[in-house]
Amino acid sequence: MTQPILSLHDLKKSFGATEIIRGVSLSLMPDERHAIIGPNGAGKSTLFHLISGNIRPNSGEILLDGRSIVGKTPQAINRLGLARSFQITNIFPRLTVYENIRLAVMRAHGLQYCFWRFVNANRKVKQQSDQLLELVRLHPRAATIAGEMSYSEQRSLEIAMTLASDPKVILLDEPMAGMSKEETAYTTSLIKEVTAGRALLIVEHDMEVVFSLGDRISVLVYGQLIATGTPDEIRRNADVKEAYLGEEVAA
Amino acid sequence: MKARFFWIAIGLASLAAVPFVLSQGLVNAAIPMLIAALFACAYNLLCGQAGMLSFGHSAYFGVGAFSTIHAMNALGGAGLLPTPLMPLAGAAGGLVFGAIAGWFATQRSGTYFAMITLAIAELIHALAPHLKGVFGGEAGLSSMRMPAWGFTFGTTNEVYYLTLVWVALCLALLYLITRTPLGRLALGVRENSHRLSFLGYEVHRINVLIFAISGMFSGVAGALQVVSNEAANYVVFDPSLSAAVVLNTYIGGVNVFLGPALGAALMTFFGYAVSDLTQSWLLYQGLLFVLVMMFMPTGLSGLAVLAIAAAKRHGIRAVAPAAALYLAAFASLTAAIVFLAELLGRVFSQDYKALSQAAGSGELPPVLLFGWSWSPAGMLTWLVPLALMVLGIVCWRTAGGSLRRQADAAVSNTVAAAVTAERRPA
Repeated sequence: MTQPILSLHDLKKSFGATEIIRGVSLSLMPDERHAIIGPNGAGKSTLFHLISGNIRPNSGEILLDGRSIVGKTPQAINRLGLARSFQITNIFPRLTVYENIRLAVMRAHGLQYCFWRFVNANRKVKQQSDQLLELVRLHPRAATIAGEMSYSEQRSLEIAMTLASDPKVILLDEPMAGMSKEETAYTTSLIKEVTAGRALLIVEHDMEVVFSLGDRISVLVYGQLIATGTPDEIRRNADVKEAYLGEEVAA
Repeated sequence: MKARFFWIAIGLASLAAVPFVLSQGLVNAAIPMLIAALFACAYNLLCGQAGMLSFGHSAYFGVGAFSTIHAMNALGGAGLLPTPLMPLAGAAGGLVFGAIAGWFATQRSGTYFAMITLAIAELIHALAPHLKGVFGGEAGLSSMRMPAWGFTFGTTNEVYYLTLVWVALCLALLYLITRTPLGRLALGVRENSHRLSFLGYEVHRINVLIFAISGMFSGVAGALQVVSNEAANYVVFDPSLSAAVVLNTYIGGVNVFLGPALGAALMTFFGYAVSDLTQSWLLYQGLLFVLVMMFMPTGLSGLAVLAIAAAKRHGIRAVAPAAALYLAAFASLTAAIVFLAELLGRVFSQDYKALSQAAGSGELPPVLLFGWSWSPAGMLTWLVPLALMVLGIVCWRTAGGSLRRQADAAVSNTVAAAVTAERRPA
C-alpha cells in the first residue's frame, strides 16, 4: 500500500480559550482528490492555515511526504511541495497577469535573489509561464492588469499561481466562492484537469462540486471530523445528514 | 526601444554640454542636482518599487559620505583609491550599513517599518556630533581631492564630469535592476508580500537585499557630495535631508523610473534659484508638495505621461489649447500666491514693524515689491492678486471644459464610425 503524501495526527488549535480544531486526523493519498465540507465556523480555513504554516498548531503532527512540517515557515513548506490558494483572492492586483504568473514560476527556478541576470533572458521561466497561462486559458489576458479581470478569471489565475511550483500537494480554499453556475462548472473541469497526478485537498461549499470532484470527502463539524469516506458513503451517513447536510441531500 | 535610446543619448549629450553652455555658477549648481537625482532614484527602489516608505534615508547617504572622507584621508592623505573611484568607498559603506539597518527595519512593514528607519537615522544623527574620531564632531572632517589618471580634479568642470559619469552609471544600473528577477520581486513585495511567502519566497531576505542595494546607491550619492565639497559633517544625517528625498521622489512621481530624478533635480534647482530671492522658499516647496499630492498623486512624471497619452489620443493640435490654458491658470495662480505670500511676509516682518512705528501711529508705509511700491491699505494692492486668482480659475475651468468636449467628441465619433460601419453592408 502506498504511503499518504500528507497526514495529520490529532491536530489541535485554540485561540485563547476557544478551541477551533479539536483533534483532527486525516490522510491524503498522492493522487487523491479529497474534499472537506462543514458548516460555517467549523474550522476549515483554520485547518488550511495550520497545514500551510500560516499559523502553528497547539499540538499534533503534520507529515508531508513522511517529514514533519509543524513549525516550518510558509515559504519552507511551499518549497517542500505544498502550495495553496486563498479563500479571498490573493494575487498581485496591480501587476499584469503575466507578471503574476512569472513571480510564481521564478521561485522554482532558484531566481530569488538574482540581480545580475535579466528575467526576460530566462527561456525556461518564459516557457513555463506561457504553458500555465494556456492551461488556465488566460493566455489572451497576459498583458491585462490582474486586478481588473473578472472574479472568476482572477480565481483561475490564482489556481495557475498555485500550480507554478509544481507541487505534490495542492490546497484550494473555496475556489468557487462567488462564481456563477457556468463559471463553477468551468472551474470544476479546470481543477480536475490541472490537478491530475497530484494530491488535492479542497474546501468548498457547493455540494455539486464536492460530490463530483472528491474521491473522498471529510466532514468537519466544530473542529472535529465526524466522517470520512467516498461520496456515496457520505451521502448515506446518518450522522452527516443530521449534522450538516440535513434536508438538502435527503430530499 | 530605438526612440528610447535616442532620447537617452540626447539627454546625456545635453548634460555633457552643460559646462560649455552655462556659466560656472550654474555648473556648480548642477552638481548637487545630479547628486539629488541619484539619491532620489536610489530611494525610489525601496519606496516606489518595493513599497517600503523609509523616513530615514539620510543615514545611508551620510554613511556613504563619511566612508568616502575617511577613504580620501587614508594612507596619510594619499587616499585609499584614486579620486575617480572614491565613490566605491561610499557604495561599500552604504551597502554594509544598509544591510545591517535593513535587517532590523524590514522585520516589520508599513508604519512600523517607517518608524524604525526614522529611529535609526535619528540615532546616528544624535550620536555623530559626539563621536569626534569618526564624524569629526560638530566641525566635521575635510579632505582634498588628489590628482589621478591625468586629471587634477581642481576645477568645477572636472568635478561635474566625474559626478555626471557616476550618476549616469548608477542610474543605468538601477534601471537594469528593475529588469532582473529581484527587481520584479520588489514589485511583488509592494503588491502582496504575504502571497510571496506562500509562493516559497524568503520575503525578509528579499527585503534586506533591496534595502541594502538602495543604501548602496544612496551611499554613492553621499560620496559624490563629499568628493565635490571635500568636506562632510554630521549635518548630512539631518532629518531634513531624509524628508527632502521623500518630497523630491513624490513630486517627481514614483511610477516612472526617472520621475524621482526629475523631481529631485527640479527641487534642488528651485532651492538654489529661489532661496536667494526670498525667505519664504521653504513655504513654496511645502505648498508645491501638498498640491502635487492632492491634485496629481502620480507626480510631475505622471502628469507628463497623462499629457502625452492625451496628445496621442486626440492629436497635439486638439490638446494644445487646453494645455496652454492650464499653463496660464497655473502661472496666474502661482503669481497670486507668490504676491500674497511676499506681501504678507513683508508686512508682518520685524523690519516693517519698526518702519511703521517710525512713521507714526496708524501709518502704513508702502512696501516695495517687484519693483513697485504697494500700500497695504491701497485698493490696487489687493485687487491685483484677486484678479490674478480669478483669471487663474477661469482659465482652469475653460481648460477642463475644452478637454471634456474633446472626450465627448471622440466618443460620438467612434459611435458614428461604428454606425456607418454597420450600415455599409446593407
